[in-house]
Formats: sequence, C-alpha cells, structure tokens
Amino acid sequence: MARAAAGRRRTLRAMADRARPLLLRTQRPSTATGLAVAVAAVVAATALVYPLKTIAPEVSLGVVYLPAVLLVSAYWGLGLGLLTSLLSAAAFNFFHIPPVGHFTIAAGRNWVALGAFFIVAAVTSTVAELARARALEAESRRREADLAANLARSLLAGTSTSEALGTTARRVAEVLHLPSAAIELGAVPGDRRRLALALRDPQRDQIATLLVPSDADHQVRERLRTQIVPALEALIAVALQRDRMQVEAVETEALRRSDDVKTALLRAVSHDLRTPLTGIVAAGHALGAHSVTDRERDELSATVVTEGQRLSSLVDKLLDLSRLQAGRAEPRRQWTSLEDVLLAAREAVAPGSGRIVLTVDPDLPAVLADAAQLERAFANLLENARRYSSGLPVSVHARASGSGVVVRVADRGPGIPAAEQPRIFEPFYRGSADGQRPWTGSGLGLAIAKGFVEANGARLTVESLPGQGTSFVVTFPEPDAEVTA
Amino acid sequence: MSEASKPKVLVCDDEIQILRALRVILRDTGFQSVPADSGEEALDLAAVEAPQAAIIDLVLPGIDGVEVCRRLREWSQMPIIVLSAIGEEDAKVRALAAGADDYVTKPFGPRELVARLEAVLRRVRDDPDDAVIHSDGLDIDLAARVVRRDGAEVHLTPTEFDLLGHLARNRGRLMTHRTLLAEVWGPQYGDDTQVLRAHIANLRRKIEPAEGPRYIKTDPGVGYRFAG
Repeated sequence: MARAAAGRRRTLRAMADRARPLLLRTQRPSTATGLAVAVAAVVAATALVYPLKTIAPEVSLGVVYLPAVLLVSAYWGLGLGLLTSLLSAAAFNFFHIPPVGHFTIAAGRNWVALGAFFIVAAVTSTVAELARARALEAESRRREADLAANLARSLLAGTSTSEALGTTARRVAEVLHLPSAAIELGAVPGDRRRLALALRDPQRDQIATLLVPSDADHQVRERLRTQIVPALEALIAVALQRDRMQVEAVETEALRRSDDVKTALLRAVSHDLRTPLTGIVAAGHALGAHSVTDRERDELSATVVTEGQRLSSLVDKLLDLSRLQAGRAEPRRQWTSLEDVLLAAREAVAPGSGRIVLTVDPDLPAVLADAAQLERAFANLLENARRYSSGLPVSVHARASGSGVVVRVADRGPGIPAAEQPRIFEPFYRGSADGQRPWTGSGLGLAIAKGFVEANGARLTVESLPGQGTSFVVTFPEPDAEVTA
Repeated sequence: MSEASKPKVLVCDDEIQILRALRVILRDTGFQSVPADSGEEALDLAAVEAPQAAIIDLVLPGIDGVEVCRRLREWSQMPIIVLSAIGEEDAKVRALAAGADDYVTKPFGPRELVARLEAVLRRVRDDPDDAVIHSDGLDIDLAARVVRRDGAEVHLTPTEFDLLGHLARNRGRLMTHRTLLAEVWGPQYGDDTQVLRAHIANLRRKIEPAEGPRYIKTDPGVGYRFAG
C-alpha cells in the first residue's frame, strides 16, 4: 500500500514537472487582470441567474456566483477573493433578491450567502497559496540540484581540480547573475572589492575560497550561504580526494617501474656478470688439469684476461649508470678537443682496429665539456654501433655547425624499428633484434651515453630506418646558445 | 685409455671460452668432448658423433637449450645435463620436463659437473634387466620389493618402496616433484608436494645414516635425486 502510494506520488510529481498547471505557476497573474476577471465573472454569473430563475427559486441561485469566487481566490489570493465575494453578494442582492433594484441587507439569508462566499474565498486562496508555495519550493530544490549537478560536471570532468576551478566559478557567476566569481584553493583573504567565503572539508579545514563581488545583495548572499557553498564544499573535497588518488596512482606506477628496473638489474647481474665469471672459473680449473697443453694454456689464460676485462667493463657501466641515476655525475667542464675524445673512445673500444672510421673536420671548434665523461659516452656509442654493424665498418663524423658541433655515429646494421626507438635509451632495454643472439650487450650503453651527453649540455638523438642502419647524433649547441638555454 | 675409447660428451655453449675450458676438464677426467656452439649444431653432432651424454647451456642463440633437450629426447635416451644460472628457474624446470636429467648452476665447479655426469652415466650402465640396484651399502631388490641396508632388511610401506624404487631406477637423474607425484601417486596428485615431502622424510628416517642424506639428495624447490 505504502509503496503504491509512493509510486503514485512519484508519478504525480513527474506529471507536474512535465506540464505545470496554471494554478501552480510561481508567478501570479497581475492584479489588474484579476480585477477584470473578478468583475467579468460576477457580471456573467448575474446574467446567468436570469434564465435559471425560471427553473429554480432565486434564493437558491446564490451558488451560481461560487465559481467566480473560487476562480479569483485561487489565482489572485485572498484580497481579490474577498472583493469578489462582496461583489457577488452585492450583485445577487441588487439584481435578483426582491425587491430587485435595491440593497436589502436586513434579511438574514443574505448574510449567510455573503459569509459562505467569504469562507470559500478564504479556504480556496489559502489552499492555492500553499500549493503555490510548495511548487516554488520544489522548483528551487530542482534548481539547486541542477546547479549541484552542473558544478559537479565542471569540477569533476577535468583532469585536475585546479584546472576546473575557473569553469566552475564562471558557472556560479552565471547562476547568480554576478559579474564575476572566482574559486581559489586554500585560504585567500577578501578585500574591498571581493567577499571571501571559506569552503571547508568535512573536518572543517578550509580547502578553498569562493570570491564574489562585495556588492552582492542580500538575496544572493543568502543563496551563496545556503546552496552554493555547501555544494562546492562537498564537490571540491571529492575533487581534491580524486587528485590525491591520481597522484598516488602515478607514484605507484613509478614505483612499479622502478621495481621493473631492479628486476632487470638483477637479471643483468645474474646473467651478464655470471657469464664471464663462469668462463674465468672454468678456465682456472682447466689450467690446473694435468693434461693441459701449452697451446691450451695460452688460450685459457687469454680467456681469464678477456673475461676479466669484460667483467670490469660491466662493473664500470653499472657504476656509471648508478652515478647518473643518483644525479652524482657532476661534469668538470673545460674546453675540450672532440678529436682527442673520439680517438680515445675508439682506442678503448677497438684498439688498433680499422673497423671504426673516424672523420673530423679540420676547423672543428672545441666544446665546453667533461672530457672523461664524453669519452665514456662515445665509447658506449661506438661499442653499440660496432655490435650492430654486422661486421661492416662504423663511421664517425664530427663537423662544425655554426659554432656548435655535430657528431654522427653511423652503423650499417639492421636498423631500429620506429616503435622501439623511444625505448632504446632506457637502461636494460635490449632491441628485439637481440633476440637472435641474446645477451650480447649489457643493455646499459645507450642509457649511459645519453646520461653523460645530457649532463654536458648536449643532445643525443637517434635516426634509423630498418634495413639501412642507424645513426646516433650528438649535438653540442653553440656555447652562447647553451648558456642562455 | 686411448682417446677413441673415452666416452664422448656433447658440449653445447655459445661461449667459446666455456667450450675450451670444458674440453680440457673433460679430457682430464676421462671424457672426450664434442663441442657445439649452437643448438642446431648440437643436434647434428648428437646424430653424427653418437655421444654418451650431453651438457647443454640453456641460453643459446637460435633454438634454446630447452628445445634442444626436447628434440634430443625424441630419439635418444642419452643423459643430458643443462647449464643454467640463478634467475633461470623457469627454464630449468622446463628443461627437466623436456627430458634433461640434471642441471648445474653457473658458474659451476668442474668437479661437481663431472660428478653429476658420472652419476647420470651410471644410470645408463645399470642393466635394465637386473632387478637389484646396489648403491654404497644399500641394496634395492625391485622384483622382490626388499630393501637391505648393510645386509639388514629395512621395512618400507608400499608407497615408500615405490618412491625409492622410482628414484633408484633413475639414479643420478633429478626427478621433479611433479614427475615423482605423477609416477608414484598418479597424475591427479601433480601439485601435492606436501605428501611427497612427508614420504621422503619417512623414507630417509629408515634408510639414511644419521649424519645426513647419502642416497636421496634434495634439490630445493625442484625435486629429488638418487645420488648413490
């Protein structure tokens, strides 16, 4: 039963919303119209009584005036309703109660009719007034809900709360017909022109401030206090909470990524350190064997040396990388000849080898950089290029560009697919081409090269077309440009 | 012993240094190594040279060590030892499932490698028709289902005997938990390592000396091997 009644109420409300009856319009029709309607209705009722007198005694025809009283009371309220009652009583008395053409107040029944009209007017106008007040209230609630929904949309739609505050403030200004409004995070003091309203979270800490023109009238202030501020408080608290959660999600992602790096580091240590170690341990045992020949002894001791160097190089790289990642690779920059750096890097990577063809333009300007760090950077680039050059020579070309320098390290390897290019500078990233022969490199070289190049104010970029080789380009800016940059 | 009569061992590793060192170590311990630097070459040489055993690195260019094990097992029962590193546990278990007998962790000591090699070769030398397995004071009569330690009969439950018999028939071979459970209890017990652990503990109480396991060795997290 109760549910059925509630359902009915909902249905009724829905119908009322679709087509609000004239009676419940919040704006009352004008008083002048009311007067005109009152007079017209009384005249019409008076006229209607004449034909009816033939079928009923005139005394009982006072009810014909009731619709006029009802109509006017309902639409124009008690005042006009009472006036219509008076008019009706007077007209009935004058035109229809004998003696016709005179007011005869003496008869008690006339007073009864007038009293009845008065009571109808009072009851009708009160009921109508109540209904109108309810409609008004419902309307204002609806607007409040609309406003809250609108504010929620603008505040929560954006990616961050601070960006959405401007839109939200504009919406508040529109709704209240204010020339301007602003919302700022935190506590902001008001001034002569602006009134500051504190917005607090459920713990009553101020989270933001709503600023409106200080000349806003009382009604606007009341609406701000009762509707806007509570809605904004709830919404901004939620929005800020969402911001915090987004930040946490980003931090969690960063942690996860750093975990990935650690896992990769462990794997690199597990395999890349163990492979040369295995070679050294096995060679050491083999050297102790009784049957070892002189040639084998030479081979085995060479193994111990080269594998030891391989280990040492890997340890150097791990140290370089951890220095770079900890931000402790402070360059000692001085004017440095790139030719010297490139020659040293080639010597470190491929001693006495013609596999790396070095071309340096004669008028190459010096660069302001840490020579040792640049050598590490280029040694890593050369080692990487040589590894992927499929046995073909690697070309290194250094040329002046304005007063800056561009060094291009080009291999003739398989190239790097475009999709992989952004990732190749990540530590431990190994290209998919490495799948053919896993674990050849440490996956650290390019990360180290980029780290040292950037620490010295230069840029390292990659240009590659699959099938046509890869170029790593180190660009040293013009010294002045870099200072201003 | 002349070079030709030494047992041949196929060694597959992509690091030339490992091949060189193992050549010397294996020759010094009475084997003859057949080196291969890729999985494909190993498969070819296994057919051509007919080695008695194989040592295979898990990480290889081209087809990897697990795949080499699987393909060798298609036609050969030769013992296979895989070389693996910590951090390659998955590959290790996959290699055992693919038919490898045992593994050695890098960097390995040659003595350990050679001991494992000899253990798995002993399994091959065991006459499959010989119903009694003798191992360092322990006699296991598979037909009569009797176990004697230093001549005295040890009473085992049927499950304990099945477990011991299974390990002993595969002497030297690392038997994974899953394999033992499936073979002794049935395939539906494949993950119930708790049951396996309990029976191994009981078995050890009955046959092993007090100072520590001599016959059944544990490979933590992987399985057990009969080492006698």
